[in-house]
Amino acid sequence: MTIDNTPVELVTLTIDDIEVQVPKGTLIIRAAEQLGVQVPRFCDHPLLDPVAACRACLVEIEGQAKPQPSCAMTVAEGMKVRTQVSSVMADEAQKGVMEFLLINHPLDCPVCDKGGECPLQNQAMTNGRGESRFDGEKREFEKPINVSDRERCVSCARCTRFADQVAGDPMIALLERGSQQQVGISDDQPFDSYFSGNTIQICPVGALTSAKYRFRSRPFDLVSVPTTCEHCASGCSLRTDIRRGNVMRRLAWDDPQVNEEWNCDKGRFAFPYVQEGRLNQPLVRGEDGLLHPASWTEAIDVAAKGLAAASGATAVLAGGRHTVEDAYAISKFARAVLGTDDVDFRSRPHSTEETQFLSSVVAGSGLGVTYADLEKAAHVVLVAFEPEDESPMIQLRLRKAVRRGRTKVTAITSHVTSGNKKLNATVIATAAGHEVSALSELALDANTIILVGERAASVTGLLTAATKKAKESGAKLAWVPRRAGDRGAVDAGLLPGLLPNGNSLTDSSAREKAADIWNVENNTLPFAAGRDFGAIVHAAVNGELKALLITSVDVEDTQHSASTLQAIENTPFVVSLEIRPSSITELANVVLPVAVVTEKSGTFIDWEGRPRNFGQAIREHNKLTDGRVLAMIADAMDVLLGQQDVAQLRAELAQFAAPTNRVDAPSHGADVPNGLTLSTWNQLIDDGALQEGEPFLAATSRNVIAGLNSKTAAAHSIAEGDLIEISTSLGSITVEAIFVDGAENTVWLPTNSGESKVRTNLGAAHGNIVTIKRGGGQ
Amino acid sequence: MTFTETTWNEAKELAGRYPHSRSALLPMLHLVQSVEGLVSSDGIALCADVLDLATAEVAAVATFYTMYKRHNTGKHHVGVCTNTMCGLLGGDAIWNAISSDLNTGHDETSEDGKITLERIECQAACTHAPVVTLDWEFFDDATVDGVRKALSDLREGKEVKSTRGPVIKGLQASERLLAGFDDDEFDAPAIDEKMLAGLHRAREVGQTLPSSEV
Repeated sequence: MTIDNTPVELVTLTIDDIEVQVPKGTLIIRAAEQLGVQVPRFCDHPLLDPVAACRACLVEIEGQAKPQPSCAMTVAEGMKVRTQVSSVMADEAQKGVMEFLLINHPLDCPVCDKGGECPLQNQAMTNGRGESRFDGEKREFEKPINVSDRERCVSCARCTRFADQVAGDPMIALLERGSQQQVGISDDQPFDSYFSGNTIQICPVGALTSAKYRFRSRPFDLVSVPTTCEHCASGCSLRTDIRRGNVMRRLAWDDPQVNEEWNCDKGRFAFPYVQEGRLNQPLVRGEDGLLHPASWTEAIDVAAKGLAAASGATAVLAGGRHTVEDAYAISKFARAVLGTDDVDFRSRPHSTEETQFLSSVVAGSGLGVTYADLEKAAHVVLVAFEPEDESPMIQLRLRKAVRRGRTKVTAITSHVTSGNKKLNATVIATAAGHEVSALSELALDANTIILVGERAASVTGLLTAATKKAKESGAKLAWVPRRAGDRGAVDAGLLPGLLPNGNSLTDSSAREKAADIWNVENNTLPFAAGRDFGAIVHAAVNGELKALLITSVDVEDTQHSASTLQAIENTPFVVSLEIRPSSITELANVVLPVAVVTEKSGTFIDWEGRPRNFGQAIREHNKLTDGRVLAMIADAMDVLLGQQDVAQLRAELAQFAAPTNRVDAPSHGADVPNGLTLSTWNQLIDDGALQEGEPFLAATSRNVIAGLNSKTAAAHSIAEGDLIEISTSLGSITVEAIFVDGAENTVWLPTNSGESKVRTNLGAAHGNIVTIKRGGGQ
Repeated sequence: MTFTETTWNEAKELAGRYPHSRSALLPMLHLVQSVEGLVSSDGIALCADVLDLATAEVAAVATFYTMYKRHNTGKHHVGVCTNTMCGLLGGDAIWNAISSDLNTGHDETSEDGKITLERIECQAACTHAPVVTLDWEFFDDATVDGVRKALSDLREGKEVKSTRGPVIKGLQASERLLAGFDDDEFDAPAIDEKMLAGLHRAREVGQTLPSSEV
């Protein structure tokens, strides 16, 4: 990390007769905090622009006739400030405002979600009168909006300012200004923001509550545990609130380097999967062909015997949801126990070019481009990457940078999206599959950051071009995967030909070192680079594999779901480590239940390369990690790996030194598709397996449509609003066509939303050729 | 309702009149009100669409200013100033008389749908107190009888003129004017002798403004 040594201009002032020096531009309320003086506040929030809406923070300033709002006034040299600590005027002003705010605020604290953690409750006690003098009728509102108790609102405008400034979704506003002032939406445009949950968290009075959590719990019944979000590679710090072994809610936790104080609604609300519909017992397929509950001893024994018998023809499909410790355990198990290098975490579409890119550029590279770098960059180029859907914290950080006027954003993507509008981005509308030339034509310099997304893997030559462009221009390059475990999987070596920490399997000295750390004979490790996910599936479909070990893979993610299922069916012995039943566990010979993120400790590596450690949140459930389960199977196969608890795995992984011989950077030429192509990525809130069981969240997902340019539509006789059929040789999808401001000859579909199941129905990846026609279906 | 292409084009014309198109929101709300007689959800959606704002942002503005009506209005709008100056000089009496004649309260419309009555705040015409507005045109130095006569003429469809000249044509016509589409009927000069009386008196006694330098 670099330290900014620019001298800071300081201003000297006194607060309550104590001299204090603070940087120029500091707000009085923050300067007072430096002295340990807490001036009451509601509207003030360090990450929002000052507004002085609630007037709770009034202080006396020498020379000013009236008290002034300390949250909106910056310090000046020689200023003499008196807070409630030393000024009767300030104290009376604060108490007066508090009394005023409480006039319309109901005394329903005993039934309010905020009760017990409420800034209004707390500050009414510290800076208000004990008894109200108001004996009139309080203002009342009907309750058509199920998450808003408008009478509790003190009009601080934190929620509306968050929505407008931070998220860029100004669908809530202060309506009916005056005595009936209230926060509301317009009738026809609901608050469908990916970030709406943050407004609940920053509401200082309980006027905004969560539909899911409302009336469910009291703050003092909860045990709060710091955790890391498992949904994407943004790496958000979260606080998980637990009651009697159940997760009641999740909040964004303050981490200035990563998520600041925000998170997205998926991270906040998509957690029912951790407790509903779980696999609780090992299952073993009996001679009757059905899965039967089994003891751990029996299940481990069957798994070990089956895998041992398949020796020489086994492969591992790993998925992208693992902690780096579990990913490492899987990586090690494949090489040291199964003796195979047929291992890959990339269930979603991928390429050999990407394998090379990840091995040479990403693996073991440590902390690279950071959130702080994004905020300072003059220019950020988004290549095949949609931050609002794929890494929402990058979206918020870029918006912050753009609002400050220092950063411009360029997006190479198929069309102008709501996300890049909020970044004021220059969109280089590029048909899917044609990104290489668009990127090559850009003039970039060393103050540029290139962010390249997951779907770049599907565009031949794009990762090569991005690497080359960064090298030539001096621009920094970062790969932003979509899953929390993706970056850790790369570091753990869950790719063919790649050992942990960026070491190459085909480098004999690295392989010797690995054998040494793993305490196995060097010759038991595979020598040649193995097959990637797609090649493993292909081999399995052809009956070339005798056993598969599959951990946390969702067939809906794989390039063509039906082929993946066929691969599993055609493999005689399949072991599945899973948290919940899936189409894969149904086909497996042995199913072993494993812990979810709340039931274990571990580390996710976020897109920056920053380790995000977290502890075990729930201790009541006795679930095993993937690492522990694999250690037991290894044990039964007479390979002693130790306990493989998180501490051991972490320490072992640290023994892998940085590689002396890196894998070569990719050098693939562009291969431009000739025809109408599919542009696709996963929307933030979609039909992903970990979002199941949360109807309130699902209700805020975006409409399922096909987006296309009006000229392309006209060429196919398609009018806006028509149903259109998008097809490949493997199947078709029929959805409504909406015109977008974008490139010609390309059609956009959400990857996994409603009718639009791109992997299952089209078996296609971003940039593949598709055909479109009007009508379809009936 | 669906707005015609003309309205859409006029809204776009308004947006083009300002360096920041968002500044056109106030006239644009008058424009949609001139078409519908109120600012409906459709009107809000039109403004939001043309100015690329969220509908909530437009609604926040539309619900703040009392001149934007969120409910149906009558053919004519009658405003009676009941602030201190007008109220004391006869505004209260006019309000009581008219409100009882029409059996209509504040911001309500008469049963025949002809007149929407509103207590209004200071119109900056205290010189001519008490002031009444007919479709936002001034009716200066108003009396109970004068206003009764004007309203009865309006309800019978006879021509009524503002004391400053223009013919009273209905709220929707005035809204169009407020939106910035001129009807080429000019008001009488806004300054008359009554307004200048104070200035003449000050000059007589030699009063001047204090210097602006502190």
